[in-house]
Amino acid sequence: MIHTINQNIYLPRPAIIKELIVENSQIKTFDLSFVDEEYNKTFTYAPGQFMMVSIPHCGEAPISFSSTPSRPGTLSLSVRKAGTLTNAMHELTEGAFIGLRGPYGTPFSMDALKGKNLLFVAGGIGLAPLRSVINYCMDNEKDFREITILYGSRLPSDLAFTADLDLWQKRPDTTCLLTVDQAEPGWNGHTGVVTTLFDKITVDPSSTVALVCGPPLMIRFVLAELSRMGIQDEDIITTLERHMKCGVGICRHCHMDNKLVCVDGPVFNRAELRNLEVAELLT
Amino acid sequence: MRSKDGKNNNMTDKFILKKDHLVSFLRRLKKEYHLVAPVKNIQGDTMFTLVDSVDEVEFDLVNQAVTSIKPFLFPQQETLFTYETSANGDYRFDSVCNSQPTVYFGVHSCDLSAVLYMDVTFSLTARDPYYLEKRKNAVLISVGCNEPSENCFCNAAKTGPFLEYGFDLQLTDLGNRFFVDVGRATGQEIVSKWQHFFAPAEEEDVKLQYQTYLEARGKFTRQVHMDQAIKRLKSGKVPESIWSELSLRCQDCSGCAYICPTCTCFSISDRKLSEHEGERLRSWDACTFSGFTRMAGDHNPVDHRTQAIRQRFLHKMLYDVQKHNRPSCIGCGRCVGICFGGVDIIRFIDLVTN
Repeated sequence: MIHTINQNIYLPRPAIIKELIVENSQIKTFDLSFVDEEYNKTFTYAPGQFMMVSIPHCGEAPISFSSTPSRPGTLSLSVRKAGTLTNAMHELTEGAFIGLRGPYGTPFSMDALKGKNLLFVAGGIGLAPLRSVINYCMDNEKDFREITILYGSRLPSDLAFTADLDLWQKRPDTTCLLTVDQAEPGWNGHTGVVTTLFDKITVDPSSTVALVCGPPLMIRFVLAELSRMGIQDEDIITTLERHMKCGVGICRHCHMDNKLVCVDGPVFNRAELRNLEVAELLT
Repeated sequence: MRSKDGKNNNMTDKFILKKDHLVSFLRRLKKEYHLVAPVKNIQGDTMFTLVDSVDEVEFDLVNQAVTSIKPFLFPQQETLFTYETSANGDYRFDSVCNSQPTVYFGVHSCDLSAVLYMDVTFSLTARDPYYLEKRKNAVLISVGCNEPSENCFCNAAKTGPFLEYGFDLQLTDLGNRFFVDVGRATGQEIVSKWQHFFAPAEEEDVKLQYQTYLEARGKFTRQVHMDQAIKRLKSGKVPESIWSELSLRCQDCSGCAYICPTCTCFSISDRKLSEHEGERLRSWDACTFSGFTRMAGDHNPVDHRTQAIRQRFLHKMLYDVQKHNRPSCIGCGRCVGICFGGVDIIRFIDLVTN
């Protein structure tokens, strides 16, 4: 009865690593396609969603899309070495197989972003899910107003997605500012945590939606700063990372008060997070 | 089903099964189903057991079984699928599911209510095929509790001591005979198929059944103010200090969650069987464990020193009320007996309501 993937939500589909991009010493981007060619044609997802990734003998972990569905044929997951599974994943080479199931989670509401100025604030691997949104917006530029991207990393050599950063910096309608916590020889750019970039931009709080992803501490400070700038809670959107096992709202590992991050999130606006016990926002 | 004066409106779903006929009836059932029933083991504990031979076991329909039937529908560990890789890197998955038509006999009302709750858990946001396959194969024959155990509070949880729905058949012990309520379609089929075991209930039986039910309701020794606790939790008037106070006493053993008929948190992991083969396992887990929310890199969004039991109690007593309009504590009292830190749900309810 439950031997086919359509009936069994826990069965992954085999996928192959088509291309592997080394973003930095900690992050790799995996361009993937399903072994089942027919399935590739029908598979769709939305920015902000994630896949459960299986690696032989390592179980599963949730990984956000870093690619945009507006570029069909590409399905990219960007992965930072953090635990057993992600370390094993970093050992894989092009042509290797992994297992995938999904897409899961509530995505960014792209319709709600239409006609708005968009302010993206990311730290480290946190740019991965936002890269999906940013490139989606670039591909549908008529729908959105000005795009501002603030991206911070620990060291200049930790900056990920540098090919994208170059493209975004070259666009006339886009502001893309980078910062590092600590400079290295050859770094002429800004130094300081990502919130120090806020002084360099002007934001119209009434027409701006901010999208934020990064380490917990960064999220806390950035959200506070955005509120101080006058942006409404509903227009401050973040995506959270949690330990997950099922990805579909049953195992409860990703509980956050009465929410489950896998189905109610991972994308939340600040209004939804108010009154919740959210680790990222506790002071 | 029953009018207020206890009079029966529909005699065709009320039967009598003589106790002398019980074993023969179960013997017949066992020819077509696996049989799981509360059986007294050699230590004297009543456990739900897969019955091999109905003639060689001692059934115990009175005492509460140590565990509920949860482990049969949601095993402590089960293989979801096996996987294989090959030298060229291929990665294949092969689903595993073994489920047989099974009669769960002698299930107390609270435990049956727990199954109804699990039905929601395993189908609401996604359909869990492993649970649902076993559930589809399950026939539930419950027995009302004439004598609630000392920690029972199903009266407060509104899950017993007798049920109005959810069972295929519900038995009430009337001394030398069982009163039989027919619930779902499979119950009707069983009664029709083995009708020689079932005599239509007389008016007297119906009255006695109702009287038994009323008497049982009066026999609870615990006063547990569940409704009041829920009201206080909803109002947000419960002080935050309660969580650290209770969490400090939690010994991180998860006995409460494992014994609980409605706790269904689980983990998923791989077991390597050889270089190229393995199986994916699902195992019970518990939100009270400090590792439950810990992420790679050791970041933990929940501070378990002060919050270990917060999710467990709020999930049961507040979040499920917000979502489904009823709590998911079924009042079986098992966690009261098992917790050596004294962090059971009655203590919690008492703390909230005092």
